[in-house]
This record gives sequence, C-alpha cells and structure tokens, in this order.
Amino acid sequence: MFFHIVLERNMQLHPRHFGPHLRDKLVSKLIKDVEGTCSGRHGFVVAITGVEDVGKGLIREGTGFVTFPVKYQCVVFRPFKGEILEAVVTMVNKMGFFAEAGPVQIFVSNHLIPDDMEFQSGDVPNYTTSDGSVKIQKESEVRLKIIGTRVDATEIFCIGTIKDDFLGVISDPGAAV
Amino acid sequence: MALQPSIEPFNRQPWVREEDLAKALKLHSKQLRRILRFFEEEKLVTRVHRKENAKGTKQHNAAAAAANDGQPVTNKEGEVKVKMHTHSYCCLDYAQICDVIRYRIHRMKKKLKDELDSRNTIQHYICPSCNKRYSAFDALQLVSFTDEYFHCEICNGELVAESDKLASEETGDGDDNGRKRRREKLKDKQQRIEEELKPLVAQLDRVKNLPAPEFGSLQTWERANIGAFPNGDLGAADSSRNSQGQYGTPMPYIGETKFEFYILGDGVKEGAESGKNGSELKVLPPWMIKDGMNLTKEQRGETSNASKFDENSEVKDDKKQDSKDDQSIQEEYIKAYYEALKKKHDEASNKVKTEGDIHISDPQSERQLGKKYKREDEDEGIEWEEQQHTGNTTETYKLADLNAEAQESGDDEDDNEWEDG
Repeated sequence: MFFHIVLERNMQLHPRHFGPHLRDKLVSKLIKDVEGTCSGRHGFVVAITGVEDVGKGLIREGTGFVTFPVKYQCVVFRPFKGEILEAVVTMVNKMGFFAEAGPVQIFVSNHLIPDDMEFQSGDVPNYTTSDGSVKIQKESEVRLKIIGTRVDATEIFCIGTIKDDFLGVISDPGAAV
Repeated sequence: MALQPSIEPFNRQPWVREEDLAKALKLHSKQLRRILRFFEEEKLVTRVHRKENAKGTKQHNAAAAAANDGQPVTNKEGEVKVKMHTHSYCCLDYAQICDVIRYRIHRMKKKLKDELDSRNTIQHYICPSCNKRYSAFDALQLVSFTDEYFHCEICNGELVAESDKLASEETGDGDDNGRKRRREKLKDKQQRIEEELKPLVAQLDRVKNLPAPEFGSLQTWERANIGAFPNGDLGAADSSRNSQGQYGTPMPYIGETKFEFYILGDGVKEGAESGKNGSELKVLPPWMIKDGMNLTKEQRGETSNASKFDENSEVKDDKKQDSKDDQSIQEEYIKAYYEALKKKHDEASNKVKTEGDIHISDPQSERQLGKKYKREDEDEGIEWEEQQHTGNTTETYKLADLNAEAQESGDDEDDNEWEDG
C-alpha cells in the first residue's frame, strides 16, 4: 500500500557545495540518497514530493562537513500481509513463480497455485490449466494476495498466493500460445 | 502397557514416589522412568527430584516433611553420616492435562484444516543431504538459473518441498489424481478424528468448568498432611483437603477470594430469613443504633444478624493471614449453628411472639446468639445497656428470652472467636 509520510534524515554536505545554491544542492543530494531505498519500517521510498524543513547545520569537529537535519515528504510503498496486489511475472520455476509489484518481489510457491494448473517446462516455462485456457508465464500480469512478508532492515520480501477467489491471471502477454 | 490401573495410586495420594508406582504397576523402574519422562515432556505429569535419606523417605511415607532434606551439612557434624539418595516424585497435573489435551486436539484439527483448505501457509523446503530447512522467504536466494529447482546454499542439493506431510504417502498416479486422492485422504482423516475423539471432547466439556484439584508443591502437600498423619489416617491425604490441610469444599487455590465465596455462602443462611428480607427494612449495624431510635424489632433483629456477618467479614479482613483458620472455623460454626437453629426452631415456635411470624423466630434465636456475645463484650456494654434501657417491651422480652436460651446458645464455643475479633 502507498503512504505519503514525513520522514527526517541527517544530511552531510561537503563544504565545496556551500554557496548560494546550498539548499538546492542539499535537496538533490537527499533525493539521490533516499529515493529507491527501502527501510524495514516505512517500506520502499518511491519518490520525494517536497522538503518541509531544513534545520540549522552543525559543523562536525575534525572535518569540515556540516550536518543538516532535513524533514521531507515522500511517497512510500509498504506491502502488508493480506493485501491484494497486481504484479508482473518475472520468472517461472518448478517450485513456483516470482513476480514483481513495483519495487517488491513476491514469490508464489507451487502449492499456492491452484491444483488444476500444472508446470510445463520448455523454453518458456509456464503454468497452464488442463484445458489450456489460463496460462502464467513471464510478463503475465497476475493478481495475488500477500500471505507473508519478511522485513529486513533494508529489504522486504513477500510470499503470495493465487489460490483464493478472484486471484490469478489478469492478462496474458501479447504473444500468448 | 498397563495405563489404566496406573491412575489408581494417584487417586489415593497426589504425590507418589516413582518407586512405589513401579511396584504398583509391576514395571521395571527404568521403563517407568522413561515413560514418566515422556509424560513430563508432554506436560501431563509434574516431577520433582529430591535428595533424601532413608529416614526422609519414611517420613514421606507418612506424608510428613522430610526433616533432613538438603541438610547434609549439619548431619555430618557429629553423628553418623547420612546417605542422601535422590528420590523422584510425580503428580498428575490435572489442570495442565486438560489444557494440553485441548491444545493438541486443536492443533491436529488446524493442521488438517490448513491442508485441506486454501492452505495459506508458508511453504518450507528441506535439503535432503544436509537437512537444512528453508522457508519460502528464502526462495530468492535459493533459486538457481541452471535448473528449475531450488538448491541448498551449502551443499547445492535439490530442495524438497515440505508440504502435505499428512497426505504424502501418495505414490501412484499422475499429478491430477494424486492431488484429488490426497484431498480425499485428508477429509477422511478429519472425519475419523472427529468421531474417535468425541468421547474425549465430551469429557473435557464436562470438566471444563470445574476447578481442577490442586495439591500444591510436594513440600506444601507434605506439610499439610503432617497433621493428619498422627491419626494414622492416610486416607485424609486426598483432595478433600486443601493445601492447608483444612476441611472444606475443594476450591481453587485463590486465597483471598475464598472470603467472598464464603461470605456469599452466608447468604444461604439469610435465605432462611427471606421473610425478613422481604419486609424491606434496611439492615442497621449495631454501631448505628443510637439511643431512642425508633427501630422495629426486625431492624434490630436484622442488625444482630448482619452485625454477626459484618464482624465475620471484619474478622476476616483483619486477619487475612489467619484467613483459612477463620474460614474453617466459620464452616464449623455454621454447621453447629444450623443444628442449633433447627433445635431452636421448634422451641421458638412455642413462644409468644410479637409478630407471630415463623421467620422471625430464626432471627430471634440468632439474635440471642449475637446478643449473648454482646453482653459478654464489655466494650459494647454501654451501648447495649442503653438499648436495654429504652424500655421497649420487645427489648425486655428479648432479655427474657436470652435468659431462657442462654445455656443452649452457649454451646457454640466459637462465640469466643467473636470476642477476640
């Protein structure tokens, strides 16, 4: 799920950036550092939408670096257990398939794939129903439900299922057999 | 294995020595110990291992506390060195047994349900060679690009999915039928579990609301039963006594709440005076009764009842540590009181009554009991005398009754308790 929250971070700036555009340099450094990262607590930082406040800089002893406490608003994405997402399949395996929903990777193991879908190996490994009507292969879009998340300090990984109602393939990739 | 007769020794006494149990069951003690250890791990039995000498074991036989427990030092000082052997005692932990059984049944059913239903469970994988367990969360690190299986991080062996354990005896057909058959097997198992566990579940239901018999730890139980054993009465060491060795209804070992139970139990007595309560007069404690107050007999009569109960509760509140003693004495008091009540009921009905109400006769006799106490208590003598001097005919009537009834009501030795309180 996406959230728009205010986070705070201490940015260190090298003295060579001091000058009339100090603030701009600070903000661009912030964006470069933070966007695309993941924290276990907030989730993936998707985009910074604005800088709320830049505090007074503190000159560090010994070096000339200055630490600014910066408050900024950003959009974060954090998956939760029980959430239903759409994802794009990236890899199909005998043990299940991997899908990506934005920055987060989700694994759906084969015992959480409906019983009537069987794995078919080949140059395009896929899961297919017995009558061939539904196929899951690379680049297919699927709707899945997250049944578990593992949150490290800098990484979030999810397990999903498509065994419930209304879950499964949404659309096949263009060149479907 | 002779499991059925094994409960018998526990019925006689809660804490049984394992050697005795082995003899009773005619099992080898090592075997028995293995079995008991298994039960202990399953939390069905509580075991205590204690160092005792031979004298101590004899004392346990009489259920007295082993005096020499853990005191080898003092023994060695002058006298014959005492050899300490470790003796093991075990006791059935009833409350835990119920919980454990309920929990296990719940887990079994849940497992079957998970397997059968949508199975929103996280898949685990095991490496057959090094037996390392992985969960589906680790899948990312486990995926190999060379082939389509997961490989172990350490030994690169192929991982096997750890699922459908309950139904994995399936060999046979192609995957389509395989899954269907597994489902049917699981359903069948589920039904069989329901049927076969029905009597057990029924028994658990029956027992659910009953308080489990508590025996306390080995020491408290032994200490409690020291008193009983000089009478040579081994049978007293059973659950009819609570851990303080007092008679009473087996109640959960809650302590102070026993008071409340007990006080409410007094309501049984008050039920006999329900006619009085129906008169809707407020109960006045004696300290509220002042000179010249226009109180009906019932109010005063009730006060003597209520005051007794108040003092009952006061005594209890004051002496919380002696609570259990008070309580047992209360029980005995109440029993004796009931007998006295019955006696007086007949006699009181023959007397002249101002209200001619049978229900009042009870309070009369109770009043007499109470009043006797008050008369003897000099602290309240002043108050009492004021009441006596109010000159109600009813009052004098009561006095007269007191005189007549003094001896019989004096049979309650426990009135002395009141004085002390």
